[in-house]
Amino acid sequence: MAKQIFTLNVNGRDHEVYTEPNQSLLEVVRDELRLTGAKEGCGTGDCGACTVLVDGRIVTSCLVLAPDAAGREITTIEGLADGEKLHPMQQAFIDHGSVQCGFCIPGMILSSVALLEENPAPTRDEIRRGIAGNLCRCTGYRKIVEAIESVAGS
Amino acid sequence: MTTETRPEYSSVGKRETRIEGAGKVTGGAIYAADVQVPDMLHCKLVHSPHAHARIVSIDATKALAIDGVERVIVAEDFGQAVKDGSNPAIDASNRGAALLAHKQAVFTGEPVAAVLAETPSAAEEGVEAVEVTYEVLPHVLDLEAAMEDGSPLARPPVSDIDHSEEEAHVTLDVDTEEAEGKPTNVASHVSFTRGDIEAGFAESDVIVERTWRSASMHQGYIEPHATVADFKPATGELTVWAATQGQFMVRDTIMRTLKWPETKLRVIGCELGGGFGGKMTLNSPLVAALSVIAGRPVKLVLTRAEDITAAAPAPRAMINLKTGMKKDGSLTAIEASVVYGAGAYPGAPAAVGALLGTSFYKWPNLKADGYEVLTNHVSVGAIRAPGTHNAMHAVEQNIDEMARQLDLDAGAVRLQNVSQTGDPMASGQEFTKIGLDETVTQAIEHPLWKNREAAKAESTDTKMVGVGLAIGGWLGGLQPAAAEVMLNNDGTVNAVTGVNDITGTNTSFAQILAEELNISLDQINITTGDTKTAPFAGMSAGSKTLFTVGRALREAAIDLREQMFEVAADRLEANENDLELKDNAVSVKGSPDQSLGMDRLASMTTGFGALYKPLVGSGSIAARIQAPGFTAQLVKVEVDTDTGNVELKDFAIVQDVGFAINPLSVEGQMEGGAVQGMGIGLWEEYIYDDDGKLRNAGLLDYRMPTAADVPDIESLIVEVPSEDGPYGARGVGEPSITAGGAAIANAIADAIGARVSEIPATPERVLRALGTVGDGAEAAGS
Ligand code: FES
Ligand code: FES
Repeated sequence: MAKQIFTLNVNGRDHEVYTEPNQSLLEVVRDELRLTGAKEGCGTGDCGACTVLVDGRIVTSCLVLAPDAAGREITTIEGLADGEKLHPMQQAFIDHGSVQCGFCIPGMILSSVALLEENPAPTRDEIRRGIAGNLCRCTGYRKIVEAIESVAGS
Repeated sequence: MTTETRPEYSSVGKRETRIEGAGKVTGGAIYAADVQVPDMLHCKLVHSPHAHARIVSIDATKALAIDGVERVIVAEDFGQAVKDGSNPAIDASNRGAALLAHKQAVFTGEPVAAVLAETPSAAEEGVEAVEVTYEVLPHVLDLEAAMEDGSPLARPPVSDIDHSEEEAHVTLDVDTEEAEGKPTNVASHVSFTRGDIEAGFAESDVIVERTWRSASMHQGYIEPHATVADFKPATGELTVWAATQGQFMVRDTIMRTLKWPETKLRVIGCELGGGFGGKMTLNSPLVAALSVIAGRPVKLVLTRAEDITAAAPAPRAMINLKTGMKKDGSLTAIEASVVYGAGAYPGAPAAVGALLGTSFYKWPNLKADGYEVLTNHVSVGAIRAPGTHNAMHAVEQNIDEMARQLDLDAGAVRLQNVSQTGDPMASGQEFTKIGLDETVTQAIEHPLWKNREAAKAESTDTKMVGVGLAIGGWLGGLQPAAAEVMLNNDGTVNAVTGVNDITGTNTSFAQILAEELNISLDQINITTGDTKTAPFAGMSAGSKTLFTVGRALREAAIDLREQMFEVAADRLEANENDLELKDNAVSVKGSPDQSLGMDRLASMTTGFGALYKPLVGSGSIAARIQAPGFTAQLVKVEVDTDTGNVELKDFAIVQDVGFAINPLSVEGQMEGGAVQGMGIGLWEEYIYDDDGKLRNAGLLDYRMPTAADVPDIESLIVEVPSEDGPYGARGVGEPSITAGGAAIANAIADAIGARVSEIPATPERVLRALGTVGDGAEAAGS
């Protein structure tokens, strides 16, 4: 497939990308831009490990063709902290012991951030439903739910 | 709950957040699939579409014509990668040596060829273009059929059974007799006996005899297997980045498989995206060999479908169980036939299942047989507490059912009969100090158990509520370990271990150092070295990371402290026994002005012309005394009798962890394991068609619990100190998964008055138990 040039705006910076147009956003972000925070757990939209924000909405980047994300604002986990200062959600995940192996965490944190954007004061059930697209195998979810709750309540 | 008074500690025992947490919340942590090496080739595998077939020919001509495809490697090629020219893949009978299938494929999805290409997509195209001609052979899938005389053989006879994965988790004191004589699918058989089971059954007031099944399942790690190997022909150096729970195990396996000198082999265990027993060595020797053959770096990342289909799932089991009890609740006898499906290469935990299934209660008479049976499924690997959840599902349903039939309290019956410190296991070996009794006591005093009648009263016509209890446990793995602790020039401390931190063990390690050196956590750095730079440590498996490496680190810290005291005693002209380490200084007790700061001390051991030797504490331990950890779990369910759907309403896990060095991470491990147990109980299952092809090789159909599926879990920590663990700690990781499936099955029985005989308890199985579908043959007590 002939390669194409297009521009992706990731974490506030424009990146010119030269790649095959059938590459997923996840592949381009990881392999071309070397932002490896987004993870591939399945490649089929079922685990949420590849979650990024596109124009503030959560997207499973394994299912999006990279050229389709051109002209939009993409946020990956690398773009969430403000310099040295972690995003409150990142800090809450540390403080609540919500991180074990960490593989689900970038996607989980971005989903949580988007969840609170949409619903600033969710109930515990709403939190659980809100992150149901992000599988975590290590934590049993409780400490993740508590981290999100603490940010919502602050 | 603290069950014994213990010393006051300053650091261990406190809830601490992870010292290196920022890397994992900012995307900075590097996992194996994140590793990119210049000039790297991408590997994709060609898989057998047949459960059992002879490989007639492999033609790579068309694949090699594709732009970007560099090499297509088959089993016969591996001689090129082995130092002495031998080829481990030829006629390999264990999965570790079978880098690629040779002559025949024995399960659907078995890799038969490897395509190396400049890009992943070229490699994928190459895979499509490789032409393999197969001659399909008869296959066997059913466990019972496979055990029958005259069954087709799943594979050629096994010469060399590899139990290394099983042993990675538990140290077993039993001999497994391996099949001899006429070839059969029974790869190994182990047997334990005590007393006279016939006499035991004769004096029973109730006997329950049932066949219980539990499904094969994936460990569920979210990170698929990934390996990068980089062979430099000019220097002969081989570097491997692996997603593994044990970098030294990877090193040793590559060394043995490729006869590669360890001086030329560096294995770097990357951040690991979950293992749970499933990430040992799987593809590392293959990728290492491919890199040596190609003379270039090679990367292999499994797709999710490949990982589910062809990695190394946990085994299914079929357990025939006959147990007896007297009216007073005492146990009389147990007879167990525990059959694990190994898949097409041996390595299933037959001995573990037979042993653990019959050792947690005081059975006066017992006969237990464990079998490992070969079929044409993917070969199995370890999981948290391999084999145990299958065994506990059977035993705990029988115990529950006997209590029900005698109208006894199922909690009290357990407490009456559980094994105590010093009691013999089925093997005759005696339990070291254990806290099973305390664990069960806590569980049955819990409101979830106490109020179960009230809970049942919440039932409506079609929503039946029930509460279930089950116990589980794990004996604990043993493996030697070493660690080093160094005093830095600014008075801070660096430590090096060789064990991968998956769940936060480095934070607990830092707590141990902080405790022994009386300094704060921010003065400590823990580095995980690779196999060339770190002192030996075993795997992060078998619930023994903290249990063994933690002990080594504690010794290293004590060694460092003694060395500091030696220097300080000399400088301060004091007796070492009069010194104390406090506020970052060594001082004479009672005279704080006679003191030497740790930074000062360090410079006296490193500066130009310094008089004292550098201060490096080392600790090395052999672990000989197991510290079994037990759990008791409670669950409240609501069963929809129209649909068979089971909803989890409440869940509590009680676990004896000996001593919780970091309660925050201990709870995390308990809760994670408990949710895996929920998956075992309700959802997770490998479903094959009649041709041995997996029907649910994706995360949509292989259903793991999501946040919306599970309730909040209440974690209750019991602390009965172990004899040998650091500060009395026991292994934490494994017990947590062992009881959930059984507890759910018991809760369903409590709700609907009938037992599912197979887990996961899918809606269909629940309806079958209710008698609304099928023949109703699974009603209680049948
Ligand atoms: S990798 Fe995209 S959802 Fe799993
Ligand atoms: S922390 Fe390991 S998958 Fe979530």
